[in-house]
Amino acid sequence: MIAHPVPSPTAAARHWFLARSDLDSLIDALQATGRRVIGPTVRDGAIVYDEIQSAAELPAGLRDEQSAGIYRLVARTDGRVFGYTVGPTPWKRFTFPPELAITTAHRTGVVDFEQPPIEVPQLAFLGVRACEIAALGMQDRVFLGGQFTDEDFRARRKAALIVAVQCTTSSSTCFCSSMGTGPEVRAGFDVLMTEIDEGFVIEAGSPAGAAIVAQLPTRRPTHAETGAAADSVEAVRTEIGELLPIAGIDERLKHQLDNPRWGVVAERCVECGSCTMSCPTCFCTSVTEHSDMEGRVSTTERLWDSCFDVAFAKVAGGDFRARPRDRYRQWLTHKFSSWMDQFGTFGCVGCGRCITWCPVHIDVREELLAIAPVIKPVERPVAVEPVAASPGDYSIARLASVREETEDTTTLSLADLDPAFLMGRPGQFVMVALPAFPAVPISISRFRSNGIDLTIRAVGPTSIALVNLHPGAKVGIRGPLGTFWPIEDAYGRHAVVVAGGVGLSPLRGLVEALVANRDRFESVSLYYGARTPDDRLFRSDLAAWAASGLIDVAVTVDRAGPEWKGRVGVVTNLFDMLSCDCSKIAAFVVGPERMMQASVQSLISKGVTPDRICVSMERHMECGIGLCGHCQTGPFFVCKDGPVFHLSELGDMYVREGI
Amino acid sequence: MASTGKAVRPRVAVAKFASCDGCQLTLLDLEEQLLEIVTRFDIVEFPEATSRHSPGPYDVVFIEGSISAPEHLDQIKSLRKQARLLVTIGACATAGGIQALRNFADHDEYRAAIYAHPEWVESLAAATPVADHVKVDAELRGCPIDPGQLLELLTSVLVGRRPQIREEAVCRECKRKGLVCMVVASDEPCMGPLTAAGCGALCPSYSRGCFGCFGPRSNANAKSWSAGLLNSGRPPEEVWRLFAGFAGYAEPFRQVLTDLGKTKG
Repeated sequence: MIAHPVPSPTAAARHWFLARSDLDSLIDALQATGRRVIGPTVRDGAIVYDEIQSAAELPAGLRDEQSAGIYRLVARTDGRVFGYTVGPTPWKRFTFPPELAITTAHRTGVVDFEQPPIEVPQLAFLGVRACEIAALGMQDRVFLGGQFTDEDFRARRKAALIVAVQCTTSSSTCFCSSMGTGPEVRAGFDVLMTEIDEGFVIEAGSPAGAAIVAQLPTRRPTHAETGAAADSVEAVRTEIGELLPIAGIDERLKHQLDNPRWGVVAERCVECGSCTMSCPTCFCTSVTEHSDMEGRVSTTERLWDSCFDVAFAKVAGGDFRARPRDRYRQWLTHKFSSWMDQFGTFGCVGCGRCITWCPVHIDVREELLAIAPVIKPVERPVAVEPVAASPGDYSIARLASVREETEDTTTLSLADLDPAFLMGRPGQFVMVALPAFPAVPISISRFRSNGIDLTIRAVGPTSIALVNLHPGAKVGIRGPLGTFWPIEDAYGRHAVVVAGGVGLSPLRGLVEALVANRDRFESVSLYYGARTPDDRLFRSDLAAWAASGLIDVAVTVDRAGPEWKGRVGVVTNLFDMLSCDCSKIAAFVVGPERMMQASVQSLISKGVTPDRICVSMERHMECGIGLCGHCQTGPFFVCKDGPVFHLSELGDMYVREGI
Repeated sequence: MASTGKAVRPRVAVAKFASCDGCQLTLLDLEEQLLEIVTRFDIVEFPEATSRHSPGPYDVVFIEGSISAPEHLDQIKSLRKQARLLVTIGACATAGGIQALRNFADHDEYRAAIYAHPEWVESLAAATPVADHVKVDAELRGCPIDPGQLLELLTSVLVGRRPQIREEAVCRECKRKGLVCMVVASDEPCMGPLTAAGCGALCPSYSRGCFGCFGPRSNANAKSWSAGLLNSGRPPEEVWRLFAGFAGYAEPFRQVLTDLGKTKG
């Protein structure tokens, strides 16, 4: 390419160029320090790390194709020797051997235990990638970072010289960029090489590395060569692509210990332990005793073990992680959550070995996204601008009619009101006031062409005063306020409406909208629980909906009278009627707090996902516009951020008491 | 147990049922340890090695072979009564062995197809593992058994501890040995994830998938593994052959074979 290479005055003086044909000089120089060289070489259809004697044993002209459960070597179009990513062998094999004798014990007259002397080979690791350097660093923290240390590991780490190689290609299983460990090697090496077409741009990262580089037949690289090296590393970052939402996943996982997905993935997992054995950071071991036939001399051997082992958490009285799902959860939460608590980093470097070498093709990235997804703020259609949107301001409406629904619940129809109220959406509410009575939030139970209905349970001073009004009376109202039912959540799905008691009131408008747009949904069902048959709201509507054939209506009561022929019991009992694929449900739930919690938990256990469950929360509200502060729940003002929420927005706040 | 050379040596008997004798021979194959073994154990009954016979009771009885003929039913009960420790050795004794494949077929049809005078052959309709008939104190798996595990069992009897036999998948041994997984790298069928370790990943060490001779390890997820094999496009007949090896009659392999049988039928 360039007949007379022009030395680059600005290319950092630390860079050198080594021709590919001179690669043996590097191996010779490493061996000359008394080291065995461990490097990439082809064995049994994969690139493994093993002892090599010359550059001829490197995988020239090969690259790997990796995906979940599949690894294949294919030819490159060039003669590069590092043109692939990571193979099955983690370097821990050489710093943390799979089998190691740790004690010899004698029982010959006296009892003694003896640690074998630490004798470790002097090695040079050739071809260590960024993620692998990070993994060695993670094991440094595990074995050397605390009060108790592993001196065999320390000796092996110290005895290993690291010749790192920049990745100039990636696999579909790579996610170092998400874990913050790569693809660029930045530190932790003695020598660093970047492969380009003609050879390698190299630099030293330590005095030992500098001594090696000084012996090589190098020259200064050209601008073009250092530029090509930098570009090829940068290109890998682009190639790996979209980042996994890892930030905060340690905390998110802590809230997902009961996620049903653990059981789903455990049904696929065969617990072979290949993930843990291939993982460059996994450090769990077990010991086994080998003795002579009399038990006078015995050796304790430490073996790589795995949290997937059926005996791993067993004691005489039983097994602490008896189910496969418990063991899978232990592995994933350790890597991505509790490791952070223990050692201050994730226990994963994103090398992708656990994905490639899983014989049943489980991809941890998919599991993480399913189990602990990032909750994105839900985008909502814009609500109509409310009328009288200040705490002291009210618009006046006329009470057109009064209708008694049950013994304690009454529907008021308001008319002659500001047209903005007619443009409200099901799920929204209004603040209603009478002179001398504090304003109360009331959900809109129906939108009429000339007004709205408010269905009120007479339990407090204002609500009692309201239901005792006569037609023609004037009331003050503000609204429509708050969020509304995202009916589009249910498009193409099974819409399931779950109501308890007066909770049917904010749902009535939704049910009407579902029925009116019935062909947009796979099915529409209403499950309604009331205290007694006489406490059922909107009885004529219930009968009409059931008769329409457009919606399945099921009603249950807590206490039945002699004439009641329907179901008796809590509303969640009705869920046994759900015969559809529950992952395709969009649910809308309102009722007393405990009924909502029970319903939500039951739906989740059936496979309905939290981003497809909406609840309407009831909280103390005085202003209705996020100024008085009463209704705050976690980060939310229920009046203006709610009252309708996706369960996924609320997280476990929803089932926690005292929030 | 005897902790000095002078103590009474445990009396050991080796007995066989329907089997090839290969597992018994593993004892004789422990050539380097054989002298020490006969110094420390009194091997009183071992038809492969000696014509000497000695009645029970015995401290340890090694049983090879499956219960396959009518007379086996009484013999195994009698041996159990005479044994302090009854140890089954090999795939036949622990899982039924190759001969248990007849349990998935028509016994009379098989017999008629093979023997000129099937009426002269007295055999049970099903070949079954010893544990289906009597209590078993310890098992050594494999076809044949692993000499290291046999030595460990003998040592544990003398030392008085549980044998150190790990309940893990063959995959663990492959990974510790640094073998490349053939399932992932070359799409070889392999029973390693479901199979009890102990062989030292013998077949994978010779680039051959594990054929499951040690039988299912505890908690083997045969359902997922067989489903994966079928989903990857392997014909049901091939999956059937993979599970129907030396331990096909052992659960959960048996369930896979039963289900596949249903699919085929």
